[in-house]
Amino acid sequence: MSSRRSRSRQSSGSRITDDQIIDLVSKLQQLIPELRGRRSDKVSASKVLQETCNYIRNLHRQVDGLSDRLSQLLASTDTDSDQAAIIRSLLME
Amino acid sequence: MASFIPNLESAPDTCPEFKRRKRRTTDEKPASFHSHQRNQRIKRWRTQREQHIYSSKLIQALRRSRRTSSAAKEVHETADIVLAVLAKGTTRWSKAILTARKMARHKKAKVAANTRLRKPAVSREKRKTPVVQRKLKVLGRLVPGCRKLSFPNLLEETSDYIAALEMQVRAMTAITEFLAGSGPQPPADRLASNVNS
Repeated sequence: MSSRRSRSRQSSGSRITDDQIIDLVSKLQQLIPELRGRRSDKVSASKVLQETCNYIRNLHRQVDGLSDRLSQLLASTDTDSDQAAIIRSLLME
Repeated sequence: MASFIPNLESAPDTCPEFKRRKRRTTDEKPASFHSHQRNQRIKRWRTQREQHIYSSKLIQALRRSRRTSSAAKEVHETADIVLAVLAKGTTRWSKAILTARKMARHKKAKVAANTRLRKPAVSREKRKTPVVQRKLKVLGRLVPGCRKLSFPNLLEETSDYIAALEMQVRAMTAITEFLAGSGPQPPADRLASNVNS
């Protein structure tokens, strides 16, 4: 019984078909602005993964920059405009 | 409902087969159900509503932590934590962010750093590993908590993580622009104009 269970787990883990991989990679490609317009058969899996990594690093860097800017702005604003920020953000919802 | 369990439809008579298939379907939830849920989650990140919820929660959190420190690093951490909270604990990356915070508090982060230093020994194997495998590994390191995931699960986490990060950037950009804009103007007037509009 345990062998049957481990066998099924193995097969569900390793029997990912090539088609499945191609499908997943093309889905990932659609998320990357850099590659979105290109035909999926013209972009290699390695390229998609590379661009995905680059894109995530890019987003991380953007958040870093924004955090830096935000920390400066928060340090320089006084409590009154802070309250204005809260009210404004709530009004926007 | 029948479409979710196709195997049961095909062999209802064969008892042991039926049992095996039934066990498998309880182990792995139907793919169509899962992918629908995932797509809904990813779409949520792209809505205005989600961005507004994130923005106000982030502002609240920043106001609270301002008493202690408002360094860029803390702001980034706060932004990530609020993002993970909004994810409502269904994804690996969000759980990893919240766990990391808990670990840091208990000073276990030092242990994690030590295990990371041992990794260079593995890189000797680099020439044997195919390119795609290597890039998959790099991706696994970029998405929090996803170092040892299988290809399909990693891609699933990545999709959600990217959508969430994009929203984080949009929200923080909007907040930054707003705070920068309200700087030079006298606060009292700003408040008045908000109430009027």
